[in-house]
Amino acid sequence: MTKEILRVRNLVKNYHDAPDSRNIIDGLDLTLNYGDFLCILGPSGCGKTTFIRCIAGFEDYEGTIEIDGKEVRGPGIDRVMVFQDFNQLFPWKTVEKNIQYPLKKNGVTDKEELKRISDEHLELVGLKGYEKFYPHQLSGGMKQRVAIAKGLALKPKVILMDEPFASLDAMTRNRLQKELLKIKEKEDVTVIFITHNIQEAVVLGSRVVMMSRQGGQLKIDVENTIPKPVTPASPGYGEMWNKFNSALEAELTDSDE
Amino acid sequence: MCRRQVQKLKSNENQDEKKGTIDEMRELLRKDATKQVIFIICFGIAWGTIYNMQIFNPLVFPKGTDVFVNLYEGFVYDDLLDMTMYSMELIGKGLIIGVVLAFVFSGISIISKTFNAVYNLITSICDLLPGVALLPLAIMWFGIGEGVIIFITVHGILWPMSRNIMDGFRTVPSMYIEGGRNIGLKGAGLVLGVYIPAAFTSILSGLRVGWARAWRGLLSAEMIFGTTASGAGIGWYIFSQRQVVNIAGVLASLIVIIAIGVIVEYAIFRVVERNTVRKWGMLGR
Repeated sequence: MTKEILRVRNLVKNYHDAPDSRNIIDGLDLTLNYGDFLCILGPSGCGKTTFIRCIAGFEDYEGTIEIDGKEVRGPGIDRVMVFQDFNQLFPWKTVEKNIQYPLKKNGVTDKEELKRISDEHLELVGLKGYEKFYPHQLSGGMKQRVAIAKGLALKPKVILMDEPFASLDAMTRNRLQKELLKIKEKEDVTVIFITHNIQEAVVLGSRVVMMSRQGGQLKIDVENTIPKPVTPASPGYGEMWNKFNSALEAELTDSDE
Repeated sequence: MCRRQVQKLKSNENQDEKKGTIDEMRELLRKDATKQVIFIICFGIAWGTIYNMQIFNPLVFPKGTDVFVNLYEGFVYDDLLDMTMYSMELIGKGLIIGVVLAFVFSGISIISKTFNAVYNLITSICDLLPGVALLPLAIMWFGIGEGVIIFITVHGILWPMSRNIMDGFRTVPSMYIEGGRNIGLKGAGLVLGVYIPAAFTSILSGLRVGWARAWRGLLSAEMIFGTTASGAGIGWYIFSQRQVVNIAGVLASLIVIIAIGVIVEYAIFRVVERNTVRKWGMLGR
């Protein structure tokens, strides 16, 4: 049985930062099932990030966003965000403490328990042995792994990822994509993943949607039935890629006119 | 055969050692510290030469060694040590009060926008007032005693410290703040957990400026009204040395003041810096 985890109804977001500011998101509906891996594609400026920030609780909005039937009003640990920025870890804490600190602040006080959780999650992202390192001693890819480990350790209902791999080189990105899929299989979590990279969306997502540039509507919404692991040689990959690519191009030419 | 080999090895080692010491010497000469030590030696020689040429009255240009004799005598026979400790105790009290107040006020100014506006104004105004200028007012309010000195030191540290903390807080990357909010931090928890460590570089430089100002304010205050009911500080010591026209004694107390400055910088600020922002990679190389 599929269970609903996220329900977005008639979401409207306007920053009201200018007298004629337009609605970035204008009446968006989305329902997401438990355990889904949703990839959101869209041209830059379409409101992908705004959307995910609304879900995270960083923005005010009109309409409804419900997580597990509970309305979102402000940030909470049931929705953990992984950002694109490599500097999302606290530089004044070691890798281990970066993972333990949020847990500590949310009621886990037993030292051994904290150690066990951080060790387990560092192993999950392949960073065993880096417990005592400070973030500035890690590469960008390693920092993103720690950020993912930190998010997962909180056992959120939904993990929100805002282009976490966009600043990485292609090789590292491919490797992290594979690892993220593996982690997703092991961990019991729903993922919303924003990207502007079609390949990434098709490789990762169990459901892929595309937002339009005007009004942030869902222009395409498909189940990704291509069996994992998805490679460019997988049957159906080309069609899917083409479908999104031409839709994206259409978006861009539309707005250029 | 075997022994010869061993000998040969040994002589090789000796040569390496010699080469090592020469390299070390070269390395030492290249260092800034060495250059600075050489400068100090040259300065001492120049001082001695000028003194020996008797260009100036020895009353205003004392013999170099006299300064150190005075330093020694000041500590052993006079009250220089007690007076120094008394000054340190006062500045210690003032610093603790000033730092705590600076953190509390700057912390509140993050949480409340109204308080932030008002406190910004107060800080900007008070930051412009030299501590010495407030001395007459402070004497009227607190009388002549410890209270005035502590008032002046608190005034010295509170405003530059608050200014730096608030500037530091303002420039905390939004990434850290959102990260903190995401894990459920808010209000005081967010200030303690994110703002203070993230702004630690500014906080440290605020401490440095505040300490320097407080130290200056304290010395001037001590000089102006001299001994308090409970004791006299190093500022008063300098002043009393001038009154008896003992320039070597004046210079000796200046050396004490410099030494305190050096100790505070190297034993406190550098150590804190090394164990915090430097370790965290938050300073440029």
